[in-house]
Amino acid sequence: MTRTRTLPLLIAASSAIVLLSGCAAAAPQNTEPVKGGTLVYATGDAEPSCLDPHVGGNFPQAIISTQYLESLVSKNVDGEVIAWLATEWTVADDGLSWDFTLRDDVTFTDGTPFTADAVAANVAHLKDPATASSTGYLALDKVASVESVDEHTARFNLTEPDSALLDSLSQPWLAIESPAALQRPQEVNCESPVGTGPFVVTGWNRQQSVTLERNDDYVSPPADAAHEGVAYLDAIEWRFLPDSASRYAALRAGTVDVIDSVQPDTIIAAEDDDAIEHIDAPRPGASNRIELNSSVAPFDDIAVREAFIRSANVDDAVSSLLFGTADRSYSALSSIEKAGVSEPDLFDYDQKEAARLLDEAGWTEKDDDGYRVKNGKRLEVDFPVSTNQSIPAEVSLFEQLQSTTKEAGFKVNLEPLDLSSWYGVLGENDYNLVSAPYTKVGPDVLRILFHSDSTIPAPSGYFANHAQVKDPALDAVLDRASEITDEDERQELYAEAQKTILDGYFILPLYDQQNHYLLRSDVEGLRTMPTVATPTLFDTWLDR
Amino acid sequence: MVRRLGPLEVAAVATIALLALAALAPGVLAPGDPLAIDPLSSFESPSFAHPFGTDESGRDIYTRVVHGTGASLLIGLAATAIGIGLALAFGLLAGFGPRWLDFGTTRVIEVLFAFPGLLFALLFIVVYGPGVVTSTIAVGLSTAPGYARIIRSQVIRVRTSPYLEAATVLGRGRTARIVRHVLPNVAGALFVLATLGIGQSIVWASSLSYLGLGAVPPAAEWGAMLSAGRTYIASFWWMTFFPGLFIVLSAAATTLLGRSLQQNVRAS
Repeated sequence: MTRTRTLPLLIAASSAIVLLSGCAAAAPQNTEPVKGGTLVYATGDAEPSCLDPHVGGNFPQAIISTQYLESLVSKNVDGEVIAWLATEWTVADDGLSWDFTLRDDVTFTDGTPFTADAVAANVAHLKDPATASSTGYLALDKVASVESVDEHTARFNLTEPDSALLDSLSQPWLAIESPAALQRPQEVNCESPVGTGPFVVTGWNRQQSVTLERNDDYVSPPADAAHEGVAYLDAIEWRFLPDSASRYAALRAGTVDVIDSVQPDTIIAAEDDDAIEHIDAPRPGASNRIELNSSVAPFDDIAVREAFIRSANVDDAVSSLLFGTADRSYSALSSIEKAGVSEPDLFDYDQKEAARLLDEAGWTEKDDDGYRVKNGKRLEVDFPVSTNQSIPAEVSLFEQLQSTTKEAGFKVNLEPLDLSSWYGVLGENDYNLVSAPYTKVGPDVLRILFHSDSTIPAPSGYFANHAQVKDPALDAVLDRASEITDEDERQELYAEAQKTILDGYFILPLYDQQNHYLLRSDVEGLRTMPTVATPTLFDTWLDR
Repeated sequence: MVRRLGPLEVAAVATIALLALAALAPGVLAPGDPLAIDPLSSFESPSFAHPFGTDESGRDIYTRVVHGTGASLLIGLAATAIGIGLALAFGLLAGFGPRWLDFGTTRVIEVLFAFPGLLFALLFIVVYGPGVVTSTIAVGLSTAPGYARIIRSQVIRVRTSPYLEAATVLGRGRTARIVRHVLPNVAGALFVLATLGIGQSIVWASSLSYLGLGAVPPAAEWGAMLSAGRTYIASFWWMTFFPGLFIVLSAAATTLLGRSLQQNVRAS
């Protein structure tokens, strides 16, 4: 029997490559800033559900609103408070009232004049439960009301002295919006917030991008800006590109000019690329950390908390995943906070010690899978992870900690969730571990994160004390520190507070909350605000 | 007459046998622990010690791919079983029931057809929450309408055949007729469909895991591994290449085998 075979035919197609010889001249090297052009910014932070940072108040809102909203004060690179919409301020001797002198030449982009009444309306808006503010609301805790002394002098009346008031007011979540615009329904204000900034929101194509155009009447840059007058750029296209690999590919291809939320391996890869530059701007406030919920079992027992922390091998995880782009932290505060206290000895990786602690705490049995058991209950902890806020490298880091704490007998259930489901489980107190970024200027962030008052949800449903520390002595120290102005005594009190927090094993510090930006090298004059490290494009121009 | 197997079919059968071994006894092919981390040897390129390289936590990708076979194949098999089981019930009802029931079920199937399968699976997961079990059921459900239509037509073909008329005349009950005559005659087509379907189910289940709706980290599952490696695709290609290769291999092998069975059934 013979078989016939059909041989496949291979057809070779030849293609002609036409090289379009264009005018690809060498990149222009302008020494003077060039006006005009549209900059494309691709963000990997979640798309805000509202462009008004008063509502809720998270980091994605802060980075975009820095382009169109302004605050009363700002900070310079040395950490000193500097003038912005307010030119001067004085505090009464009892510390219970602050007078801010406002600029008299500023108008909101809808034509409303900027006055003391506008400041009062903004504070009222932040404190109104209907606004559902969390970050701004918590920062204005001690502000009872704002009255206008005259058209351009606003008086803040406080319930208690607040040494962190200026720090609080410098943040983008407390930016000043047009009082006329705030009168509109919330959905409308969320789509087109109106401020005094160098750019104006002109369009929002959901899931795609926000369009920002230059404010041609702009007069009010902060005291540390590089130039006066209006912004150089005509417009900004603020694109949402959640996938980090596509974001970097778009930057290399030149279809976008700036990207944020950069993966550590990408930062290293970009070092070899001359067309790309890197800006590293760690955020102030709290360090990036895992909080252990001390209000429910098993972490209501300090020995179990210590055992978890001892059995988590953070050092190896940090060095394998971050490629040296960040140092390990042993502090509750960011490394750029002067008041930060570091306690490396408390966080030594020690499986034996972890085992001993668990034995002592009564978790003596082990089941077939190697997990500890006490009274028939497995040593199981839930760890909801917000995939919008934790970059993939962080999620991998949590997986590694899951693996090393398993050696000690912990079963860690990692649950990747979107932002709203994640807020949901936190609100229901249905978690044992959580890693929640919290950014606030200055060490007063400790009061927000660890004071027992912060276990009570803000009107938005959010509470910041995820470790659920309820310690009257700690509360007293934090309250006192936020009232006094003597810098040395404040530092001492904050040091004492941090010691209580670290010794209580309420948190496992990881590293500084990262803000890495990559940009095309022809993007000039981009800087991050010294307040919360958001990028500002006011001084930015395109050298092309 | 059975055709002789071509080289492609032999390769397909060999691949499936290998995958089956990996699924049933992963320890034989890869004795290591797929979840064991070794942070200090992360992101290593393929080498003798790590034939497929290591991932971001220093886990051996070869071990993970082998141990992930069971999960991926099981999801594929179970989803297909659910799809075919449902389709069989629907098809028999439509093909054997009274005319109004045939009309009703056919319309329901047509409505389900209007949804793209994967969209239907996504809807199901949105309602019942992500996880391996839900994604398996979701894939099974969304493939059922296609199978049901084919089975109905097969059932009708058998129902109108002379030997079934003979069985009816002889006074056999409905159950007896279904079990003795209809099912054996539909079985051939079913088997082909199932084989073809497994490949598709594996791809769908991997897609769902890739989207973060199936297996949860750090489980060794191909789609989840693909998703984890995606972040690093610019720097470390092996993290996505090998899980992807195995998804393609398993889907291609089962599809090839299904096609070849189909041709044999037609020829006989």
